[in-house]
Amino acid sequence: MQQYKIAIVGSRETILGFKALGVEPVYANEPKEALESMFALKGERIESGGESRNKYAIVFVMEDLMTYITPDDYKKLTSDPLPAFIPLPSHLGSTGYGLKKLKGIVERAVGMDILN
Amino acid sequence: MELQLEIMAIMNVNATRMALLTLKKKIKSAERGHKLLKDKQDGLMQKFMGVIHEAKTAREEVEEKLGASFKNFIRASSLMESGFLESALLYSTAETNLGVETKNVMSVRIPTFDLKVEGEVVNYSMVQTSGELDISLQSFLDVFPLLIKLAEIEKSAEALAEELEKTRRRVNALEYRMIPDLKDTIKFIQMKLDEMERGAIINTMVVKAKIEAAA
Repeated sequence: MQQYKIAIVGSRETILGFKALGVEPVYANEPKEALESMFALKGERIESGGESRNKYAIVFVMEDLMTYITPDDYKKLTSDPLPAFIPLPSHLGSTGYGLKKLKGIVERAVGMDILN
Repeated sequence: MELQLEIMAIMNVNATRMALLTLKKKIKSAERGHKLLKDKQDGLMQKFMGVIHEAKTAREEVEEKLGASFKNFIRASSLMESGFLESALLYSTAETNLGVETKNVMSVRIPTFDLKVEGEVVNYSMVQTSGELDISLQSFLDVFPLLIKLAEIEKSAEALAEELEKTRRRVNALEYRMIPDLKDTIKFIQMKLDEMERGAIINTMVVKAKIEAAA
């Protein structure tokens, strides 16, 4: 089984706690900054067993930084099997972005929203 | 007749017996492909339905628990000086590694994550830190596996959705475009060939009548 790393993107005060868990923190305060670091994280690769592969398998991103991502950028980010970009609600509470994302997925798959 | 020809989509082929044969072969494989893809679509959909409901429950659970964890953490950090907090967390020796395996479900690669946390999370002096910090870090540790689970399920759902969309497009293209077009073209060629045959018979009949009249 191949070993990967986990990263988290968010504002300093929120993700500090995750740093203690051994998750690699990437500080970003602005959505634009966050987007740049997400692309950078996606691009990071390591060599293992003679082949190069993604370093990160999961990138958690604070929801408030993800709300302004354009569908185009989102498609580019999620085009590969790994890493998975997962929005997390910040300390400010859920913005509903995560559920909206799920709805989008359902709409793509089924053609209409059948959740609820 | 004129009207019917207008709605028929005829491909750009020669009306020959040869073309008819190739088209008949083509329609056979198109129909088989359509059936296979339809089965794949059904299978994916079944899988997807299971995953998406799981994803929804996982997400709701994470939103609830993580909110509480963050509140704990903010409370802890408000009780401590930021310098102390950061240095306390700096000494955490925890290291997470994520084992990843990919399963293949109907040509969709679905990841399964296996989380390993090594080392000590709470690795700081008890004097300069508040008890709330311990509690909040513990609650982070508790939700952590849940987050990994959520990531796994959501990524699977996403991958399945993408494949479903592709498969649906292919099924529809075959069902509503390719197969009807092929059918129309085959019918057109057949009619044309029949017409030519009738023409040939009439021709022989006319020639025969002329010969008989001359005799």
